[in-house]
Amino acid sequence: MTPEARDGRGLDLLLAAVRSPQRLVAMSPPEWGALIPSAEEARLLPRLASDAQRMGLTSGLPDWTRGRLTSALVRGQEFERAVKWEIDRVHRALLPAGLRPVFLKGAAYIAAGLPCGVGRVVADVDILVPEAELPRAQVALQQHGWEFEPLEPYDERYYREWMHELPPMRNRDRGTMLDVHHRILPKTGRIHPPTERLLEEAREVSGISVLSPEHMVLHAAAHLFQDGEVAGALRDVVDLRDLIEQFGQDPAFESRLVAEAKVLGLGRPLFYAVRYARLAGCTIDFAGVGPWKPSAPLLAGMDHLVEQTLTRPDTTSGSLGAFALYTRSHWLKMPVGLLLRHVTRKATRNFWS
Amino acid sequence: MTVGDLSDAELCGLLRAQRFTLRVGPFLVRLRSVMSEVQAALALLYRAHEIDTEADGAHFVIRLDHPGLVRRFFRAQAQLTFDLRQPFIPLPASMAAPMLEAGLNWCIGNYAHQFLVIHSATLERGGRALLMPAPPGSGKSTLCAALVTRGWRLLSDEFALVDPTTGILVPVPRPIALKEGSIDVIARWAPDAVFGPSVVNNEDETVAYMQPPARSVRDSGLTCRAGWIVVPQYVAGADATTTPMTRARALMHLADNSFNYNFHGRVGFDRLVAIADQAPSVTLRYSRLDEGVDAVDRLAQTGAP
Repeated sequence: MTPEARDGRGLDLLLAAVRSPQRLVAMSPPEWGALIPSAEEARLLPRLASDAQRMGLTSGLPDWTRGRLTSALVRGQEFERAVKWEIDRVHRALLPAGLRPVFLKGAAYIAAGLPCGVGRVVADVDILVPEAELPRAQVALQQHGWEFEPLEPYDERYYREWMHELPPMRNRDRGTMLDVHHRILPKTGRIHPPTERLLEEAREVSGISVLSPEHMVLHAAAHLFQDGEVAGALRDVVDLRDLIEQFGQDPAFESRLVAEAKVLGLGRPLFYAVRYARLAGCTIDFAGVGPWKPSAPLLAGMDHLVEQTLTRPDTTSGSLGAFALYTRSHWLKMPVGLLLRHVTRKATRNFWS
Repeated sequence: MTVGDLSDAELCGLLRAQRFTLRVGPFLVRLRSVMSEVQAALALLYRAHEIDTEADGAHFVIRLDHPGLVRRFFRAQAQLTFDLRQPFIPLPASMAAPMLEAGLNWCIGNYAHQFLVIHSATLERGGRALLMPAPPGSGKSTLCAALVTRGWRLLSDEFALVDPTTGILVPVPRPIALKEGSIDVIARWAPDAVFGPSVVNNEDETVAYMQPPARSVRDSGLTCRAGWIVVPQYVAGADATTTPMTRARALMHLADNSFNYNFHGRVGFDRLVAIADQAPSVTLRYSRLDEGVDAVDRLAQTGAP
């Protein structure tokens, strides 16, 4: 991490703006100067730019602030346009083959017009198909210009045998990335949410299939803190906050959510998701997740890790926190022997290359 | 106040204190550096540019410094930091000027989507802009450098910045990058032109930067509209020939050389169409610089190819 990256002030301001967009109203020019790089790094600048525009703030800002925000806003609109086009192209490849994929995460949030789709930075499109249909989906996509990236045999095996998705596919013409999942968590993990249930409950929204609201929250919860980066962590928390606040307006949502968490075996991740969405200013608390509360020492430990990771990545404890959460996410994915093998392999490869 | 008004000590002090904010066309660029190579490059190549010591921020905040204490004293290197990112690998300190220019290009290419950005040399005469959209290696910077010594105003040797809603072209005059043989060609063509030191870049090419004309920098607030499109093609030994392009070809050429017209959706597409509609377009094959310059001048005088 560079000295500049240890910008605690920018991160404090980002957290404040994420918790309450109203904070943007009183932001001074030097504060904008500290906030913008941190927000960019957290992939949240297009979102903040959109909040600022909605509140009519942009016209009163210095030209340089307005320039950066407008640039981010335009980029956010491009993500939206590109994702919708990508969905159209995926449909063109798969629908004639009788396959109707369920779109996950960013693509689903954007296409379904959810609040967390606004200014959402999307690196790849994720789809879910039944495992039995994977070969047909792969062939149909390959016929329409998607190709596998060249992989080392180890990586090939990592994806095919242990993971919950095909190796990433890149579209030859557009360079866009597509992840084809057949599960929402890896085969090797300790939790196996049944894909059939997710597919059965999927909804049609704006012409595409997406997970049911309950499953959308549970999927986001299962993936919280997965990439072990502060950047990803805060955006994940913002996604969860938006989903919970949106769907939680329906009084019957909580009981359905809790019931589905039981069916999928995702009670504990849901508990954490509800708890840590509050860090992003989530005002809804689901008492129904109480039974999944971990023991007091474990919870205190998790609180500490998450707090340090999100707010103090500049400190040693913050980086250790991120590393611990990253390790934990792998812990959920793989048994310990495999985890050790995988981490060793990754570490030695990075070391030598 | 311009960079040329500062003493070496003042420039050095502002750069170290993070109070050096340069106005580069529509952008404020805040620079921080302790490197003498950076000071020298700025003093020479940005002499006519305005500085704003009271600015409360900048579009692009850039630090260009040694990556660590060792690389300050032993085979000194420079590393560029923009926001919280370090987009390039560290390079020898002698390459500070190319790194600064590449860094600014990278910032404008990635973080200035308030504009429709086209990869194009852009000049002005008589209130109308000449666009030379072309990929690197096509000789657009060479022709651009030659034209600015013959009465054309420099808007940029690298970018056409277009306001997507109004179609107005915004100047962003900066040093002109010349490579390999072009350096000598322009030095002979314009003996008064001021160059920074020639350095060998990462791709093993010799690069030198030419100081932009002071008048072009002073007039960077004067905007204009597209008047002509010339697609230069350097072809060794060829006589200068201009060939009209259809509007459709011109549009495709603008789109191919645009960084972000798609980011602006319908507005971006319509804007490129409007430019292709209003500006007569030609391809220009040439090998001898005087013939190339004459061909562009003729085009500008007749107003049509």
